Amino acid sequence: MTTAEHLDLLDERRARHPLAVKGLSKSYGEGSTAVRVLEDLDVRVEPNEIVCIVGPSGVGKTTLLRCLAGLLAPTTGAVMFGPTTMTGPILEVGVVFQDYSRSLLPWMRTRENVSFPLQGKGMRKAARRALADQCLNAVGLPDAGRKYPWQLSGGMQQRAAIARALAYQSEVLLMDEPFASVDAQTRFDLEDLVLHLRKRLGISVVVVTHDIDEAVYLADRVVVLSGHPAHVVDVVEVPFGQDRDQIQTKAEPAFTEARARILGRIRR
Amino acid sequence: MTTLLLPPARLLLRLLERLWLVAVLAAGWWFVSADSTSVYFPALSAIWDALVSGITSGTIRTDVTYSLTNIVLGLVLATIVGTALGILIGELERLRQVLDPFLQFVRSVPQSALIPIVIGALGIGQAPKIYMIAFACVWPVLLNTIDGVRAIAPEVRDMAKAYQIPHSLRLRRMVLPAAMPQIMAGVRVSLAVGVVVMVVSEIFSATVGIGHFINTAGSVFDISAAWAGTLVVGALGYLLSLAFIVVEKAMLGWYFKSAGASSGGATTRTRGKATK
Ligand SMILES: Nc1ncnc2c1ncn2[C@@H]1O[C@H](COP(=O)(O)OP(=O)(O)OP(=O)(O)O)[C@@H](O)[C@H]1O
Ligand SMILES: [Mg+2]
Repeated sequence: MTTAEHLDLLDERRARHPLAVKGLSKSYGEGSTAVRVLEDLDVRVEPNEIVCIVGPSGVGKTTLLRCLAGLLAPTTGAVMFGPTTMTGPILEVGVVFQDYSRSLLPWMRTRENVSFPLQGKGMRKAARRALADQCLNAVGLPDAGRKYPWQLSGGMQQRAAIARALAYQSEVLLMDEPFASVDAQTRFDLEDLVLHLRKRLGISVVVVTHDIDEAVYLADRVVVLSGHPAHVVDVVEVPFGQDRDQIQTKAEPAFTEARARILGRIRR
Repeated sequence: MTTLLLPPARLLLRLLERLWLVAVLAAGWWFVSADSTSVYFPALSAIWDALVSGITSGTIRTDVTYSLTNIVLGLVLATIVGTALGILIGELERLRQVLDPFLQFVRSVPQSALIPIVIGALGIGQAPKIYMIAFACVWPVLLNTIDGVRAIAPEVRDMAKAYQIPHSLRLRRMVLPAAMPQIMAGVRVSLAVGVVVMVVSEIFSATVGIGHFINTAGSVFDISAAWAGTLVVGALGYLLSLAFIVVEKAMLGWYFKSAGASSGGATTRTRGKATK
């Protein structure tokens, strides 16, 4: 493939398939010591949609996300990407891990980190480089390619991790508490980046978060997990569309309403 | 090594900083031993004379070349084999569990205790000595590599899985560099082990080598020459560790720099022993 094709690739990436779990249950351990964490979940992420998953600590959010990524096999039920059942990680689903300082490799420059998965796909060096630079641009890091991850701030590292997921041709981004360890302002910027990328690239996004404000601000739908084993206790539709504003959106009555409803669900 | 890049004046200062204690001790030794009549502790001046004549008219230069060749080849061999096996064992959890009792055993056996046996078994000549050094040096590298590979953060492994990084690329660009700080710490230990084995292997059966030089001097009661040979071994060890630091800096630039940075790339759960 030529470089020019890759330039188009990023812009024309549209999520085409829904990502869904059907009747998903997950237990850790075997036999009599098995612990059921997730029980009969049905969650569906439509193309171009942002879905947030909230729930108390230890409820099984990360477990669900790892199942969606193909990193964990369901105990029962299935993870479907479009019409196909996922049996492992796939190209179309990219993951942004919570602990970015660990998931970026400190012996590679940021550009190499972003293009590392592309090398695995056998893409040529020039093409890799062009696509990596383009993805770094898209996340607002045009000058970070030559730097090492440890020369970047936490927020910049998380942007680089997002760029890596984008470069990997993902139509669906899975993010596990992506902004948990950055300061408030950086967090707002990164939230807006996610909204921007969704709009510009047409990707779908799943965000696991502790922060209910963040969930309502980002999501088209918020899935609330609760209980042991966890099940879906509520799905809250958020009516703000694709363009949102940190101040205005959060001041809307619908925002407060959604927030209160989710909080009530989690508390109970 | 950064000192090489410094302007001459500061380089000199650094050298003085490092060498002043050696100089003081040497001077002290020189004066205290000046009137020595003991056979086993001759005057340093006599040792110095033996050293000079060993270098100019004797065999020390040939001996050092021989010994140096052995230890360098032995270490390189040990590093390659230890790293390769270590990565294999570290990656394959089953294999590691099977080998674990054996590895724990090896961990506690003093390698140099095996020298007489192995030399006896392998015989004289240069190749057996190189194998002997490699055999003794391989364990620290192997054990450290296994630890380094196993310490790779689960996040990094998840990343490789999620992005379907092929095996060879993963081993080359992810596992090897992640374990490199530990591997180098292992090589550093091996270096010290290697010097001992090098000397001892030449004492047991050799016609050349610095160990042989010391041994022959001792057997004809030329104690000054034996001391001179010992000092040469010390100097050799020092030079080797300097060379090691240069190699380590080149291999682990990212590691030392990132440890200084605030977020310090914590890809492995910190290295057991940090070397400077
Ligand atoms: N590998 C594992 N083996 C056994 N139990 C596990 C494993 N991983 C998670 N668990 C258990 O499964 C439950 C859900 O864990 P999970 O990490 O999915 O929760 P979470 O909702 O992401 O929590 P948090 O909000 O604290 O990140 C927890 O009780 C946890 O102890
Ligand atoms: Mg979690």
